[in-house]
Amino acid sequence: MEAYPVKGRLFIAAAAVGSLAAAGCSSSSSSSTAASGGTTSASAAAKTCVASIGMEGPLTGPVAPLGQEQLHFAELAVAMDNAANKTQITLVQGDTQLNPAQATTVTQQFISNSSIVAVVGPAGSQEVEAIGGPMGRAGMAFISGSATAVALTTGTYPTFFRVVSKDSVQGPQDANYIVKTLHPKDLMIVDDQEAYSTGLVSAMLPIFQAAGIKVDHESVSQKVTDFSSLVAKVTPATSVVVLPWQIAANAQQFGRDLAQQHKTAVIFGTDGLFSPGTFSITGSYVSSFGPDITAIPADVAIASAAKAKYGSFGTFGPPVFAATHVIDEAIASVCKAGQTPSRSNVLAAIKNTHEPASILGQPISFDSHGDLVNGKFFLFKITSTGKYQLIPSS
Amino acid sequence: MSFFLQELVNGITTGALYSLVALGFSMVYGVLKLLNFAHGDVYMIGAYIGFFVIQWFGGAAHVSIPVPLLLVIMFVLAAGVTGGLGVAIERFAYRPLRDAPRIAPLITAIGISFFLENAVLLLFGAQYRIYNTPEFISLSSGIRIGSVTIDTVQIMVVLLSVALMAGLQLLVNRTKWGRQVRAVAADREAAEMLGINVNFTISMTFFLGSALAGVAGVMGGLLFNQVTNTIGFIVGLKAFTAAVVGGIGSLPGAMLGGLLIGLAESFTIGYISSTYSNLLVFALLIIVMLVRPSGLLGQAQLQKV
Repeated sequence: MEAYPVKGRLFIAAAAVGSLAAAGCSSSSSSSTAASGGTTSASAAAKTCVASIGMEGPLTGPVAPLGQEQLHFAELAVAMDNAANKTQITLVQGDTQLNPAQATTVTQQFISNSSIVAVVGPAGSQEVEAIGGPMGRAGMAFISGSATAVALTTGTYPTFFRVVSKDSVQGPQDANYIVKTLHPKDLMIVDDQEAYSTGLVSAMLPIFQAAGIKVDHESVSQKVTDFSSLVAKVTPATSVVVLPWQIAANAQQFGRDLAQQHKTAVIFGTDGLFSPGTFSITGSYVSSFGPDITAIPADVAIASAAKAKYGSFGTFGPPVFAATHVIDEAIASVCKAGQTPSRSNVLAAIKNTHEPASILGQPISFDSHGDLVNGKFFLFKITSTGKYQLIPSS
Repeated sequence: MSFFLQELVNGITTGALYSLVALGFSMVYGVLKLLNFAHGDVYMIGAYIGFFVIQWFGGAAHVSIPVPLLLVIMFVLAAGVTGGLGVAIERFAYRPLRDAPRIAPLITAIGISFFLENAVLLLFGAQYRIYNTPEFISLSSGIRIGSVTIDTVQIMVVLLSVALMAGLQLLVNRTKWGRQVRAVAADREAAEMLGINVNFTISMTFFLGSALAGVAGVMGGLLFNQVTNTIGFIVGLKAFTAAVVGGIGSLPGAMLGGLLIGLAESFTIGYISSTYSNLLVFALLIIVMLVRPSGLLGQAQLQKV
């Protein structure tokens, strides 16, 4: 399962974008459009490699911007892989709204659909916990591009994989950076009442407390947009506010409220706050499980194709591209071996994934519990021009 | 003391916003005994209209007309369009069910709410739209007393809300239309027999209530800077709570309820913890309901609409 050679990416990306455009923005028709563009021999080959992939993500609801970005990159990956491998893979969407109950319903539908051989997603750790059992019983592989809770890869969910690192890496890494580099005496940390956010807070708090930092732990719902009262609690001694949030627009408003009340605390955010154009408070830090692929030379073609088709994007899309690509390649390898793709042989192929390079700028392979081997996080600082500058030591 | 005053300012501002939205809830309940759960989504539509007006005139950083004129256009257009939307919702979704069991329009209201949310998602996408208010109304243009900051937008929101609430009170108490509204609220059939055009009166009630929500949407956009298709849910819920706390059907009650909810939220976050703000706000609702089931001004207020 090799990543695309760099020189071939431009052509494949162009073909994929063309096929997506021909599909008239249809969100689940990338396979048919790719096939229609093939030659006779390619069509014949494609007939032998037909499969569907489920895609679970928060396509509506408060975090729909992230879910839509994930969907777009999954579509792009399927289109590019269909063009490259002459496969006929179809993406089937499932909207989970980042809600475990909704994810369970979608998962049951996917399990009942015999054409679906593997699933990309879901986005949230709490959703993985809800569907891990049924997925395991169905023998269906599922790869998340953003679920980072530590408990997910302790062996409980045998068919779960992820292409991002986990909270036990990110939380301590971020907290240590704050302690050692920003040297706060007082600090406010605000969770957004979701498992992702509270998990990170739990990983960070002991480090802050051990460093003797006075911590004000607050909590607000993702749906709240008025932070003026909370910002009033930021004391002059509070030099850092940690926001492990998923909604960048909320952090932007928090930063505006800080400025409006003449507070000088620096914002330190995570993952969802990586959103150039939405979150642009100068001097803020953002740690992310995904890299800025626009800064990776080998990803230029994919980044250009994504931007041309869908507009600007953050770091939630590329890991889903990587996850989808892993499944696409697993299906292709099954077909090349002369077999018909099924849940069991695709699962086996995914377990054997060894991509020497990927869109994430690192190799992709999984350990026995489904964790990405040598996963890492990236830390950025926002400059006065709103640019996200990678901090090299991260 | 300055911390108390800052939270007071924040609470009054948010409360003014809730009050405006709560008025629409209360007006509609007054005339139809209907809980219009789509009302929060009308607020959301108003916020979108404000955003698109900013874009139409060059975007936040390059507004091509004087800012006061821009604001007037934003508010007037949002009020007009959302008022019209309210009339359309009443005409096509609620009027056919006026004599149906009360659960039917209630479910329809929830359906309309989801319809609006998802229609906007389909039309405008999932991404957050950012007002970027500080680009055209400077953060430093407000008042600073010691460490208490009151920015221009907060002042504008409070003053405009008070003016609109006072205007609505005058409209309901001092005009012929207001008398008709009160008559329909008291007894729809009797009002009809007396020659009052009930359909028109109800339509106008929806227009005004929705227009206020639209104006509140623009205020919310200016204050909180962000618009997406789900912003109406939490504001709608808080405004509904405000209407119930104040005494649903009572206009002064809706205003008082909004202010109380805003202040309760602000002081809970400031003095206790943000973690418990919703808990305490809704605990307040329960306590008021237990002590005064009709709300704080629900019985004392005679001028139901």
